[in-house]
Amino acid sequence: MPSPARSDAGGDGAGILIGEVHTGLLLNSASLRQDMLPAVLGLLPGERVRSFERPISHAVSPELLVGVDCDLSTASGTRVRGIGTLAVRAAITGGRVLQGSAWTRLMGGHAEHRLPWSHYLARPGVVETVGRRRNHPYHADLADGFLDRTNNRKAPGIDFGAICGQIMGEVQRSPYLDRRSPFKAARTTLRWVAEESPERRIGFILGDDGSRTTRITFDGQPISAVIELCEDLALHDWLLSTLLDVIDRGMPSDGPHETMMRRIRPAVDHLIHLWMPGARVVESLLPLWESLDTKPGFTRQWDTLVNRIRDQLALRTLTLLSASAEGVPGRNEQGIRS
Amino acid sequence: MLVIATSDKGGTGRSVTSCNVAYRRALQGSDVCYLDFDFGSPTSGAIFSIDPVSRGTEGGGLHSYLQGKIAEPQRIDVWRQTDRETLRSRPPGAGRLVLLPGDQGGGEFSMTKDILQRCTKLFVRLLEEFDLCVVDLSAGRSYAAELVLAATAQQELRGVPHRWLVFHRWTRQHVIAASGLVYGRRGLIEAGAERGHDSQVLADSIRFVRTAVVNPDSEELAGLRPTQVVWLLDCNKDLQELARQHQLGRTMVLATIPLDPVLQMREQLISDRDVWASQIANAATVAAFDQLARRIADDAAWDEL
Repeated sequence: MPSPARSDAGGDGAGILIGEVHTGLLLNSASLRQDMLPAVLGLLPGERVRSFERPISHAVSPELLVGVDCDLSTASGTRVRGIGTLAVRAAITGGRVLQGSAWTRLMGGHAEHRLPWSHYLARPGVVETVGRRRNHPYHADLADGFLDRTNNRKAPGIDFGAICGQIMGEVQRSPYLDRRSPFKAARTTLRWVAEESPERRIGFILGDDGSRTTRITFDGQPISAVIELCEDLALHDWLLSTLLDVIDRGMPSDGPHETMMRRIRPAVDHLIHLWMPGARVVESLLPLWESLDTKPGFTRQWDTLVNRIRDQLALRTLTLLSASAEGVPGRNEQGIRS
Repeated sequence: MLVIATSDKGGTGRSVTSCNVAYRRALQGSDVCYLDFDFGSPTSGAIFSIDPVSRGTEGGGLHSYLQGKIAEPQRIDVWRQTDRETLRSRPPGAGRLVLLPGDQGGGEFSMTKDILQRCTKLFVRLLEEFDLCVVDLSAGRSYAAELVLAATAQQELRGVPHRWLVFHRWTRQHVIAASGLVYGRRGLIEAGAERGHDSQVLADSIRFVRTAVVNPDSEELAGLRPTQVVWLLDCNKDLQELARQHQLGRTMVLATIPLDPVLQMREQLISDRDVWASQIANAATVAAFDQLARRIADDAAWDEL
């Protein structure tokens, strides 16, 4: 049974943070109104849904805890057992984009066997490793193992995908949604690892099949700020991927006007105004976003795509206008002849 | 939208037609997924020419998912993983085409509350990402059919359009059997009403697809003796009358798929290249698939009653 979690609990700053953010389209015909958000995201009775109206509508469900006890994935293939809890929550941005976000802090435990469950419940959002490996430099091994999806390890590790999918599914099946979304969009998955280090850095890798990985080092910011950065990054990466897909599909240059409009319209109606990188990122982590904006250049690509859509629409409008301007006398002439 | 393909008898070409329709719909620009709910014999992998799953997957298919063994069923990107080179790249403007295979050696199972809930969850999940979900059931009355009837009646799927395609060959036995599957005792409409569907709404969401139809006027039959042609025309007329009596008349037919040697010899996707370059398939077959793919989502084709 899930119980409330606190994201800033969890010890002495050691260990690494790992998590996953899944992003997809909310199954509703219209953008969800601000006043509906608490009902849709109220997944835990008695716990408040946090919502914000500015600079963009955004609401976050209460955090739930999920217990795990499994072998963690390692790059070396070494067997490491982890026991503890993950925190997971759902968020809706702009009344339109749904995210499932789960994370935990991996820490070296002091025990050589599983402790009573109360021990782990007292450390919400922490997974402790079990065994004698605590002096071993296992952080890098665990981080690499977690980020490498292609690695055919014996232990698939914690199934973040199932946990994020579960909470997103719960929101999508809400009785307050009509499940008639105006267009369809593939989900994307961002897997991330964050470690404390004197130097702040971020790396971002785009994989096939909607999977992305990112590695962050931060210095002293609260965990919640790191998680929000990852969620913001995942959100904008999804917006970009979805817009790219819409354009790929909707802009064969010689297609009929109606076909193009039908395919491009969802982007204009529902996506373009959602771009607001860094809107909810704390100031001290903003430089990380800015470095991604320099390379690979999220905003630059976004602006190019939006301009392309606007140019296409402008050109089509001009073509239609000139066609109708030529068409009117043409019809008259014919009318006179007949 | 959910489209459920079923038939009373085997050998109607249900799977091969619905795979081709999924393929055509994706070419037309929709995001399409194909769910192999024929748990006894999952062969859609073979039709899409995806060799590793030609008789179902070993890597966690729909059967394992519904029984709660895995969190999400395996998905296969057809454009990327098909063995047929002519199909392997997604053409410009085409949508996604994803196969959710059944499990190898899956077998039937009875429906429980948990299985129903997982099935409903899966449909909601796929409707987020796909314009069209084609659910291919096995022939005859099956637990899978009961399951889909029950799932589509759940509150979560109430607002989502779901349409049933009943495939039958154009013969006396097949016409009678298809009618029984829909209107008979324990047929779709009766079973659906028990599961909470409105009988009239459900009846309006069912259409028939005639397969392997021999057109007596076609050029291929030009070599027939006049007596044979007359006989064929008579048979056709009788069948039309029989179909009308069994509520399978013309207004209930969404498409007629002509008999095609390629489909008779090997069940596969028919690409435009099979028609124009190698000329092994008939243009009429592709045109029929294409039209069916358009009519599935065309409200006018479903409103005309």
